[in-house]
Amino acid sequence: MKASKLNGVLALAAVLAAWEIVARAGLVNPLLFPAMSRILGSFAALLMSGEIPAQVARSMERAAAGYFLAAAVCIPLGVAMGLSGRVYRALEVVVETLRPIPPPVVIPVAMLFLGIGDGMKVFVIFFSCAWPILLNTIDGVRNIDRLLVDTARTFGLARGKTTLKVVLPAAAPQIVTGLRISLSITLILVVISEMIGSSDGIGYFILNAQRRLKIDQMYAGMITLALLGYFLNQAFLFVSKRLLHGR
Amino acid sequence: MRAERRFNTAGVGLFAALLLLWEVYSRAAGIQDYLPPPSAALKALVQPDVARALSGHLAGTLGRFVGGYFLAAALAVAAGVVLGYSRFAYSVSEVITELLRPMPSVAIIPVAILCLGIGDAMMIAVTVYAAAWPILLNTIDGVRNLDRTLIDTGRTFGLGRLKILWQVALPAAAPYIATGLRVSLPIALILVTTSEMVAGSAGLGYFILDEERSLRPANMYAGIVVVALQGYALNRLFLLVEARALAWKRGMRTRGEA
Repeated sequence: MKASKLNGVLALAAVLAAWEIVARAGLVNPLLFPAMSRILGSFAALLMSGEIPAQVARSMERAAAGYFLAAAVCIPLGVAMGLSGRVYRALEVVVETLRPIPPPVVIPVAMLFLGIGDGMKVFVIFFSCAWPILLNTIDGVRNIDRLLVDTARTFGLARGKTTLKVVLPAAAPQIVTGLRISLSITLILVVISEMIGSSDGIGYFILNAQRRLKIDQMYAGMITLALLGYFLNQAFLFVSKRLLHGR
Repeated sequence: MRAERRFNTAGVGLFAALLLLWEVYSRAAGIQDYLPPPSAALKALVQPDVARALSGHLAGTLGRFVGGYFLAAALAVAAGVVLGYSRFAYSVSEVITELLRPMPSVAIIPVAILCLGIGDAMMIAVTVYAAAWPILLNTIDGVRNLDRTLIDTGRTFGLGRLKILWQVALPAAAPYIATGLRVSLPIALILVTTSEMVAGSAGLGYFILDEERSLRPANMYAGIVVVALQGYALNRLFLLVEARALAWKRGMRTRGEA
């Protein structure tokens, strides 16, 4: 292990040990800060009992649906807006009007139309993920070398084929950036929408644990979320590296 | 490149057409209870009691936003300069940072409610936590990427450690810090609104959710219009301030390139 890494691990161990000691010595309200060992114990128990995996699975279904829907709609739309000034200008005002709305505010609207079921959450995630993907795709398409497109056209590639084989791969790095930004937004909005209107999912689990004063479970839920965020990001890097490398 | 700004007829046309379609559909289908026509939302917006309530909530939301955002900026820039400058400090904090960062920031809300109750302090704390991350990481990046010659020059001229941080590292990292601040702005707004929704009794987030639950959708849409305008205005204001604050930097760069 490198010395710098060791420093970090030691610091983490020190913080955890300090937490444990302070909590056990009763220096802080045990209701607010249960001992670290208790938190980790209840995390392990919830993991084994299948409670946490089940809640995570519910959240991930919603997240995946909203995220992939946003990608499926916004990448083609972004390509069209990036390629054609006409399409861009036609949609510009609508996009610029909707974009500054903070996504959580869309939750009440979605609840009105879709109730508090999965549809509401999927829509909210879709709405919040749409912007980074759309704007990055537009930017990526606009910034590609015109020469690439012109060459393809000169060699007789049809418009559709040029888009698929030249424009999309050239814009891919920036599209991936948009997808990456949206990934973290997805997780945030799943949690928010589950906190505001839900009866399951990891966001609901955390808020509910707090309300029932099962504080160790609340922290266990937060650990779960941190791990989830970490692994999602790693998985994304893994996949995107392969995709971009294959060009 | 300064393209002349023509009036975007197609864009405004499509927007107007969509609004009109909404207006007609809502009136014709008789579903005004949950999809009021846009005209009803606008009417609600100018109704004296709604307007008064909205401006009160707007002031509350803005106050919490400003408090959280500036506090986050102050803390994160200070911490970022130190962590970017000192390898030791960075290595100590690295693992903890890497563990906390991937957790979606809203998960901190229940903890904040527990520790701080459900007042302004809770909402500001949550906003600070979430908004600090992008500023912190960008500041660290900025300080790390700065030209070592700048620091060495400072040293040669006999500047102390603190002076170098304050007068050399900080200005050199300014463009990065600006990026962090720009990313944090919408995040801070999201967190203020969310915490108002989850545990608030005032503010635009609370107002919008409350009007939805009270089945007054016209008021809800009026609230959303205000929130959108607020987001737009804050973003514009940021770009304006950023352009002014970093003008010297651009001047320096072009001079250097020429």
